[in-house]
Amino acid sequence: MSGRRIVVTSGKGGVGKTTTTANLGATLAKRGRRVVLIDADIGLRNLDLVLGLEKRIVFDLVEVAEGRCQLRQALIKDKRFESLAILPAAQTREKDAITPEQFAAIVEEASAHADYVLIDSPAGIEAGFRNAVAGAAEAIVVTTPEVSSIRDADRVVGKIAAGGKPIRLIVNRLRPEMVSSGEMLSVEDVCDVLAIELLGIVPEDEDVIDTTNRGEPIALREAGRLSAIYDKIARRLEGELVPFTTFDRQGLFNRLMGALKAG
Amino acid sequence: MESVAIEREIGAEPQRRGRAIVLTSGKGGVGKTTTTANLGTALAERGARVVLVDADVGLRNLDIVLGLESRVKYHVLDVLEERVDLDEALVPDKHSENLRLLAAAQSREKDEVQTAQMEALIAMLRERFDFVLIDCPAGIELGFRNAIAGADEAIVLCTPEVSAVRDVDRVVGLLGNRFKPQLIVNRLRPQLVKRGKMLSIDDVNGILRLPLLGVIADEPEIIITTNRGEPLALRKENPTGAAYHAIAAKIAGEDVPVPMPPAAKQTLLERLTSLFGGGRS
Repeated sequence: MSGRRIVVTSGKGGVGKTTTTANLGATLAKRGRRVVLIDADIGLRNLDLVLGLEKRIVFDLVEVAEGRCQLRQALIKDKRFESLAILPAAQTREKDAITPEQFAAIVEEASAHADYVLIDSPAGIEAGFRNAVAGAAEAIVVTTPEVSSIRDADRVVGKIAAGGKPIRLIVNRLRPEMVSSGEMLSVEDVCDVLAIELLGIVPEDEDVIDTTNRGEPIALREAGRLSAIYDKIARRLEGELVPFTTFDRQGLFNRLMGALKAG
Repeated sequence: MESVAIEREIGAEPQRRGRAIVLTSGKGGVGKTTTTANLGTALAERGARVVLVDADVGLRNLDIVLGLESRVKYHVLDVLEERVDLDEALVPDKHSENLRLLAAAQSREKDEVQTAQMEALIAMLRERFDFVLIDCPAGIELGFRNAIAGADEAIVLCTPEVSAVRDVDRVVGLLGNRFKPQLIVNRLRPQLVKRGKMLSIDDVNGILRLPLLGVIADEPEIIITTNRGEPLALRKENPTGAAYHAIAAKIAGEDVPVPMPPAAKQTLLERLTSLFGGGRS
C-alpha cells in the first residue's frame, strides 16, 4: 500500500512552509512512520538547510527526473532517524526544468516505500507551485494570522479545491498576547475566512530561527513546547481526535496587573 | 502614451527620467511589500513623485499594506491590455499626496504579462514619476523576471536567517551586474543577536558583500500597521519609521549614516549579574 502524498503550501512566502514540512516530517518519523520530504523549490532550496543535511547532497530532484540517477540514490537519509529521508531540489536550475507529470511520477515512486511523502512547495502560484501540487493527493495550507497571508492562502485554497484535494490548515506564528490585545487576528478569524479544516495552531517562538539556522528542527527537542504541538498535529493528521491547545489569553504580566488592580 | 512620445520627438522639453528600483529577495516573507510601502511613503513625504507597482500578479498585497484595497479599480493588466489609461489605473494614496499605487491583477496569472510589456510600462511610469518602486513576487520564476525587466536598480531584502541569505545570494547572482544591488537587512532582533541566537549584520553581509542601505528592526508594530494599512513611515517619531526615512534619504542621494536599530539593551538578569557578579568575571 502506498503512502499519503501531502503538499505543504501557502501562496505567500516566509510563512513557514519549509519549517512546517521539516518539523512535521521529523515528528512523523519520531512516531515510527517512514517519511520522505521533497523540496519542490527548484533554484531556491532550503529544506536541506533546515534539516542540517546540506553538505550531504549528491543528486537532486531534477537529476532524478532526467533519469541521471535513481530516486533511492538521490534520497538523503536523516542523521537522526532511519525512517526520514529528503529529496533535495536542484539549486542551479529553473522551475521549468521539470514537468508536473515528471514531478507526479517521482512522488508516486517515493510513496511506494513510505507512509508519508510531504512536498515543500515554493512560494507563489507559478510553475513551481503547480509542480508541487501535481503529485499530491492532499494539501496542508500554512498561513500566519496576517491579512496579506490569509488573502494569499485563500487564493491557493481556491486553486487546490478546484482539483478536489482535501485541504487542512495550519495557523503558524500566532502571538496570543497580540491576539488578546486586539492587534492580531485570532485563529477563529482566520478559520472564518478560509473555511477549511483546522489541523494545528503553532505559536511564534523565537527559538525557531535559531534552530532553523542550526539545522535542528525544533520539534526534536525533548519536552519542548513546540515538540508537543507538532506531535498533536501529527496525531491529528493520522486521524486521532486531539483537542486544540488553548493559548492563555492573558499573559503573566496582565494577570499580575489584574491581580494588583483587583487588590 | 502617444502624447508623451510626440513631446519627446519634438524635443520641446528634455524629459527627466525617474529611477526604477525593484525590491526583491528570492525568499518570501522577508518584507518586500512592507518595505516597498514604507520607502514609497518616505520618499513621497520628502516631496518626490512616487509610484509603487505591485508585480505580484495573482497574489497582490501592496494595496492591503497601504490600506487601499477597496479603492483599487483597475490593475496592471488593464493598462497593459489597453482597457484603461494609465492615469485611470493609478490609485492615489490616502496619506501621501505624491504617492500612487498601480495594483496587480488578483485573478490572473503571471504568465499573462509579457516581459516586453512590463518594460514598456515601467518606461512610461519613469516619464511621470521621480521614483518607480517595483514590489517583486517571491521566487525566481517568470514573475521575478517580469518585475526586474523595467528596473535599473535593485534593493535586495534579507532577514538574518541562513535560508534567506542563501536565497538572496542566488538572486544577486541572477540579477547580474546591471542593477547595482544594495542591501537592506530586515527584521533584525538585536537581543537575539547578542545572545548568539541570530545572525548579525556582519554575518549576513560577510556572505553577501553588498553596499548596506539600512537595517530595520523586527517589531510587532509592523504587523499592526500592516494589518491596518498605515505604513509606519508615516510616523517619523517611531524609530523604525525614522529608519525608513533615513533609507529614503540615502536612496535620494543624501550622505546620511546607515540607519541601525539601537543596540540590545541589557536584560534585567545581565544588569543584576554585572552589578553583583562584576568582580568574578
